[in-house]
Amino acid sequence: MERVVVKRDGTVEKFQMKKLIDAIFSLLDGLDIPDDYEIVFKIAKELDLKIPEKTSTENLDYLVLKAIEHLIPKSLVYDALATRQLLKIINRKIDREFSGFKDYIEYGIKEKLLKPDLKQFDLDLLESKIDYTRDFNLDYFGLSTLRDRYLMKDRNFQIIEKPQWFFMRVALGIGNNEAEVIKIYNKLSNLEYLHSTPTLFNSGTLTNQYSSCYVNVIDDSLESIMEKAREIAFLAKYAGGVGTDITRIRATGSKIHSLNAKSSGIVPFIKIFDSIINAIQQGGRRRSSQVVYLQPWHLDVEAFLDLRETTGNPYFRTPSLNTALWMPDEIMRRIKEGEPLYLFDPAECPELITAYGEKFKTLYSNCIEKAESGQLKLWKKIDSQDFYKRYLFKLAKTGHPWLTFKDRHNQYNPCPDYGVINSSNLCTEISIPNSLDSTAVCTLASVNLARHILESSKQIDWEKLKDTIDIMVVALDNILDKNFYPSEESKKNTYDLRPIGIGVMGFHEALIKLGIPYDSNESVELARQIMSFIKEAAYKKSEELAKERGPFPFYKESYPYPPRRNAVLLAIAPTASISIIAGTSSSIDGYFSNIFSRDTLSGKFIVVNKLLMKELEEKGLWNEELAEKIKAHGGSIQYIQELDSKINKSLYKTAYEISPYRQIDIATAFQEYVDQAVSKSLYIEEDLRDEMDKIYMYAWEKGLKSTYYCFIDKTVKGEKYTLAVNKRGERRGFGLSLEKAAKENSEETKACPTDPILAKLCSSCE
Amino acid sequence: MSLIGKTSVRDNIRITEDSKYPVFRDLYTKQKKAVWFPEELNIQQDVLDYKSLSPTEKDLFDSAVGYFASSELLVQNVLGNGFFPVLTDPYAKMSFSTQMFMENIHSDFFEIILNSFDLDRKSIYDLTLEDDLLKEKQELIVRAVDKITYGKADPDTLEGKKQILTSILLNNIIQEGLFFYSAFAYFFAMKDMGKIKNVVSGVELILIDESLHLQNGIEAILTIVEENPEILDDYSFIERVKQSIVDSVDLELDYLKRKFGGTTIFGLSYKELELYMKYIADRRLVELGFDPQFNVLENPLKFLQKEDVKKLTNFFEVSSTEYTNF
Repeated sequence: MERVVVKRDGTVEKFQMKKLIDAIFSLLDGLDIPDDYEIVFKIAKELDLKIPEKTSTENLDYLVLKAIEHLIPKSLVYDALATRQLLKIINRKIDREFSGFKDYIEYGIKEKLLKPDLKQFDLDLLESKIDYTRDFNLDYFGLSTLRDRYLMKDRNFQIIEKPQWFFMRVALGIGNNEAEVIKIYNKLSNLEYLHSTPTLFNSGTLTNQYSSCYVNVIDDSLESIMEKAREIAFLAKYAGGVGTDITRIRATGSKIHSLNAKSSGIVPFIKIFDSIINAIQQGGRRRSSQVVYLQPWHLDVEAFLDLRETTGNPYFRTPSLNTALWMPDEIMRRIKEGEPLYLFDPAECPELITAYGEKFKTLYSNCIEKAESGQLKLWKKIDSQDFYKRYLFKLAKTGHPWLTFKDRHNQYNPCPDYGVINSSNLCTEISIPNSLDSTAVCTLASVNLARHILESSKQIDWEKLKDTIDIMVVALDNILDKNFYPSEESKKNTYDLRPIGIGVMGFHEALIKLGIPYDSNESVELARQIMSFIKEAAYKKSEELAKERGPFPFYKESYPYPPRRNAVLLAIAPTASISIIAGTSSSIDGYFSNIFSRDTLSGKFIVVNKLLMKELEEKGLWNEELAEKIKAHGGSIQYIQELDSKINKSLYKTAYEISPYRQIDIATAFQEYVDQAVSKSLYIEEDLRDEMDKIYMYAWEKGLKSTYYCFIDKTVKGEKYTLAVNKRGERRGFGLSLEKAAKENSEETKACPTDPILAKLCSSCE
Repeated sequence: MSLIGKTSVRDNIRITEDSKYPVFRDLYTKQKKAVWFPEELNIQQDVLDYKSLSPTEKDLFDSAVGYFASSELLVQNVLGNGFFPVLTDPYAKMSFSTQMFMENIHSDFFEIILNSFDLDRKSIYDLTLEDDLLKEKQELIVRAVDKITYGKADPDTLEGKKQILTSILLNNIIQEGLFFYSAFAYFFAMKDMGKIKNVVSGVELILIDESLHLQNGIEAILTIVEENPEILDDYSFIERVKQSIVDSVDLELDYLKRKFGGTTIFGLSYKELELYMKYIADRRLVELGFDPQFNVLENPLKFLQKEDVKKLTNFFEVSSTEYTNF
């Protein structure tokens, strides 16, 4: 078969494998690899199958990329090669368009993609600070994610930003002067910390919206509901996730005085938000999202639990909305001690909405008395254990609602006189006072702990960590003044409180580098040590900034703490996307698995635990057979005996293999030093599903403010496609027939001896 | 009593604790746990993706949807009209009727795709009539099943047993375990390229279901063979069973050659798909006790290993397939 390539200028040329092989060899330049021929041969073999009779240069580049990508689980080197090939594809196009960074920035401004004030910086100086070798900090999954969603595109959706230009553009949109920009660029491009996705998307651009989270409150009136619907639409448009407290909305059957009618309850109104969120797609780069929070004493709570069910009456389902419970301590206590729950209409018992702690307990008892003595029209008494079990069943089944603890959040409110904390946000890590006319906003960034390790001494590099935190506080504080606020309410909250949220990622990776198993007391202790250090550094920097720039405007001298620039500074976010860019484990979670696939907007990627692969390769233990074994064990190495005593297997325990109680202990250790909250997903083996009541009770008792998704390992899986077929064991199926036929054949040829003497020796003749 | 035989409506209505065929109890439970509903997936998000597909990509997508849309209820008919009436064991009935229920879900899912993507219903359904090879794929099954429906096959005779076995082979092994797997490959390739991701999330769920249906079929066939060893004496029948798997691979390859010949779609080439089909066919042969015919030792479509490992979904981005309804 003759194969041809159509070149960019339209000419047709005979396909030459040699040319392609040379191109693959050139990817290996600078990588110190002894068996380069073998690697190139493997890639070429993959490719040979893929290349069709007629193809284009561009498609050929792409097929090379795919061929290498498919080999990634086989050895670390393929990840580096795939990254290089992808860089080549990205850069080649951009190099045809732009002479350099400055040229790109000017083009972006001219095309009204970037902010004109970027020109006020010394772009020549900044261009000279760009270090392209830092591209190699990125792994393939990280770079692919950047390419698909983060790198700036022109009006024809063609990428016009190289990865290093991206980091510099983000830094330009944050720093107040060249020195700050360079510092931020250096930290970002070395993946030492990253800003949250909206900041990475919009920094320096005309969209100019940096914040991840907004948290608002809806009052019990049609005016308020419709006004907030409008606010939510605009918050969602600019890539923010919205948390909304709906507890004030009166319950089903509650009186509407102006119409002399009865209310249809919360669900029809929640449906409005479901539709809004579904309509706004954030340009396809991210789905817009909202979570609605309800306190579980609300009379409509039972319908609320069902919102994410996929069957039943569609008018009572909200497939695009997230839900969460804002749980008071008193109700957890009742569940624990088996006392009944009472559900009320907030229109009749409005005093319960903002009360917490002992005060809530007293008011709740008063409401119960009133109910039992016939003074309330709408109420219901239910068994607290039944409710709890039903709730947990829904959580396991639909992933919703999440469980967050109202009193614990409010106990640490830095400005209780500003407002109560009415709810948390989309990812449950925000804890900022808000009110009907003040929508909380939080701007986030996360430090990559795995990049703060002194590899030689296996110690945390505390000095570097302090340096990173200092820059993060300044950068996040800068953003507050540059940010575009989609609503007046959100602007007010920021200008009053100046809240920021510094979180962490790469905790598990850091633990492996330090040689500490995640599932151990040492890791809990280290969590405490790290977070207390981060808190101290961040607070100190914020206090310094207060001297320079003034404390947050709502600060009062009567507060029991010195003036600081920001009312709150710390929040541990899930870092779902940015941990991919940083190539590390997300947030404070354990590695999901040592080999797993990840569905994202960019498609599906296979992720291997690189540290494990590296250690096994260095010790000469890595081979295809072992790789298959790890795959067959669902990405676990705990049961692979041949690794016993060769490596410390406990370092590589995966999320589901770590006891949920330990997961909670670690989250609590972080929470002790986080002024906002920790967004903690729990990973629970199907076998432990019966223990969910204990696990969530433990989370409450230990003092977590928030839990987030509950992942349950699903036991029914599809056919394992690429693994060898299961042996049928004793069952022979049609094989028996073939054996029989074969046997008969052989018996025919070996007929019994006719010689009578020999026949005596023949067993079948006897 | 063996697995298949003549039954009346009064028979086999009591579940016993010690099931005669525990494997069907297991398969019933697994299928129960795998149940999902199309509403769980927000495929509306894929409409823009669909509109941006190239003509060849669109054609491939449409014909895959058309093939599935007209095959899911066909599978159900085969089971309902042909096989279910001769099943004698309560758990086997539960397992196969759960499969029949799941075919509804799949059909419903493709119906929602038709509506959401604004596809022309008639032309999509007519694909299996107008495309000679797609038509032949379906006729292969219909011909065999026509022989056994409405009491035409007597399950108490050897000949009847062979006919019933053949129809299950065609339905659960060849249709669901070979032809469907061909389409799975290019659906998954779409997601691998970041396209039509939510529809493909649904197809991932269908793959889980189909691999259970495949097990249903394999267990039924092996059980019939074990209970009626005289089937094994008919070498030409056994040869025909094997040959029908080999022939269907050829049929599928003809179809793939027409679609993929000389080009790559979603990064897939014909040569890869050819090896892939042979690899899958070998697995089916080995599962039934035959020797592999093609000796393709490794799945050439390496991106499919993404289906074999644990999955983590960015909830804000793609519909998750990891929650369970049970």
